[in-house]
Amino acid sequence: MFLVEFLIKNGRAGIDFSSTIGRSGIFLCRSILGLSLGPKGLKLLAKQIYMVGVLSLVIIVVSGLFIGMVLALQGYNILIDYGSEQAIGQMVALTLVRELGPVVTGLLFAGRAGSALTAEIGLMKATEQLSSMEMMGVDPLKRIIAPRLWAGFISMPILAVIFSTVGIFGGLLVGVDWLGVYEGAFWANMQSSVNFQEDVLNGLIKSLVFGLVCTWIAVFQGYDSVPTSEGISIATTKTVVYSSLAVLGLDFLLTAVMFSSI
Amino acid sequence: MDSYITINDLHFTRGHRSIFNGVTLHIPRGKVTAIMGPSGTGKTTLLRLIGGQLRADSGQILLDGQDISQLGRKALFDARKKMGMLFQSGALFSDISVFENVAFPLRAHTKLAEDVIRDIVLMKLQAVGLRGARDLMPSELSGGMTRRVALARTIALDPELLLYDEPFAGQDPIAMGVLVQLIRLLNDALGLTSVLVSHDITESLSICDHVVILADGVVIGEGSPTELKKSDSPLLKQFLNGLPDGPVPFHYPANDYKTDLIG
Amino acid sequence: MYQRTIEAAVGVFMILGFGALMFLAIEVSGLSMSNDSDTYKIYAQFDDLGGLNVRGKVSLAGVPVGKVSAISLDEEAYSALVEMEIDKSVDKLSLDSVASIQTAGLLGEKYVSLSVGGEEEYLKEGDTIFDTQSALNLEKIIGAFASGQVEL
Repeated sequence: MFLVEFLIKNGRAGIDFSSTIGRSGIFLCRSILGLSLGPKGLKLLAKQIYMVGVLSLVIIVVSGLFIGMVLALQGYNILIDYGSEQAIGQMVALTLVRELGPVVTGLLFAGRAGSALTAEIGLMKATEQLSSMEMMGVDPLKRIIAPRLWAGFISMPILAVIFSTVGIFGGLLVGVDWLGVYEGAFWANMQSSVNFQEDVLNGLIKSLVFGLVCTWIAVFQGYDSVPTSEGISIATTKTVVYSSLAVLGLDFLLTAVMFSSI
Repeated sequence: MDSYITINDLHFTRGHRSIFNGVTLHIPRGKVTAIMGPSGTGKTTLLRLIGGQLRADSGQILLDGQDISQLGRKALFDARKKMGMLFQSGALFSDISVFENVAFPLRAHTKLAEDVIRDIVLMKLQAVGLRGARDLMPSELSGGMTRRVALARTIALDPELLLYDEPFAGQDPIAMGVLVQLIRLLNDALGLTSVLVSHDITESLSICDHVVILADGVVIGEGSPTELKKSDSPLLKQFLNGLPDGPVPFHYPANDYKTDLIG
Repeated sequence: MYQRTIEAAVGVFMILGFGALMFLAIEVSGLSMSNDSDTYKIYAQFDDLGGLNVRGKVSLAGVPVGKVSAISLDEEAYSALVEMEIDKSVDKLSLDSVASIQTAGLLGEKYVSLSVGGEEEYLKEGDTIFDTQSALNLEKIIGAFASGQVEL
């Protein structure tokens, strides 16, 4: 009897889970192609890029700076035992460009922009703005969701690249100005070991993938939320948790595919 | 009776609960119809079914001859241009001004020039008495004003059908009086068909021409207000007179009182 | 007006992003702007690459003069064929130049070090360097000491 109950409960959970995935997939397909490219559509897109990207700049730049500085500090402590402290430039650069840039930006993005998106859309659902838009014959997927999706896709790679750049400068600050590594060696070692196609581009691809996944989760959770204040709070939490796990999981997969052959 | 909306044998379930079990009703053209019933009978759900936001399990919903449940997504969006729905909370878009809210359907569905749109918006706002509020943001409006602006937005495209979801809920007497008048005036002046869903017996019965009462997933009474007031059905009597006890019991099912207290 | 500020901010954002990408491309990864016409190709055969990679530096007296552009197996000679792109400005490499694979620093990468010889004729596009020194293989050296073949 217990086994049957267990199966029933988990079976239902399994079906619920699959239907949520299915709903979110259909949702993505319907919205992503819905962005209108006319002047109105681009205006909506610009506003969303501002909300999602530009407003995240502060947290990204500050975090990037600190992480770059910490990397240089810690890296120096380790490398100096091998007498290789001149390699600090390449250590900071590779770590940022390949991994920390896309991943940390993804996590910060999920927390800041993702939760804001979920809350906004959830609130629009709760105050029946989405329903009234539908009743007026305007598809909310095209008007509200699509610009936010595309804003996320576009902003994430930009933020990741800015993060890496600022981080490298942070590393420069600590490594050269503070710890006394030769500036020439810093840049020269970096340049010889960082490859554009393999490192920078792969990092860019990662951030594109993370942008897609984080924005999709954020927007869907808002759209699918229960239209009460408790429902929105649950949806926002889900966004941050799922996005973060997705970023870390996908990072592992992508790293294994992209970098294991080196 | 010339019906604008005909619903035939409608069945709809949500989750495990069956909401409608064979509902058949008619909404006459050009008149104000009130749909009433106890809480939770699915009155709002009925409006959503009429508007095509939900799909029925079986049965027909005919709007001016067109079966709503058969329409594809695109055709449905087109059909919605002929109807307007006023939501309980007004549902104004919070990030744009009153003027922009009313202009929204015009901008979305027509290619009218900017000054033509301006004129239409001002006319609609004038009809609801809020032309002077056009530059305010929704957060600056009172509850009653929000609903009036939402009403102006609903009539922006001159629809044939207006659906009102609990328009009188939580309104002060003056705001309520204004809304009541507006609903009747608009209906007659513009030749619309209006359907309002409400608990409020006095207000609804004072302006409507036709009443439909739903309970337990079926229609328990349909007709003009005078006809229904004369009805013998105990459920109708309890509902129309606001009696606390009757077919809808006062006490939630429970054990014997004496044994509960003492035993 | 509010819309204008937003559009301006978005524009700045995208320029910053593009700028950062350019920075990463040029300053960080050293993507060179030079195209093929600025370099000429020469080849060298090695018995043991010892970990030399494509894009490894090619230097003369410690000065970078080019990079390794391709590595392949020469199936007839059973040795590694390394293709290098050398700056056109470095055109006085004598025919008997020596190419050896060395390590840069302790953790360092492998690179090709060229040193010129005395011949008066110079290497041109497509020429091959035959006098090569493969990478030092630490295990072989230790093995040679241990078996007494080489004495200190």
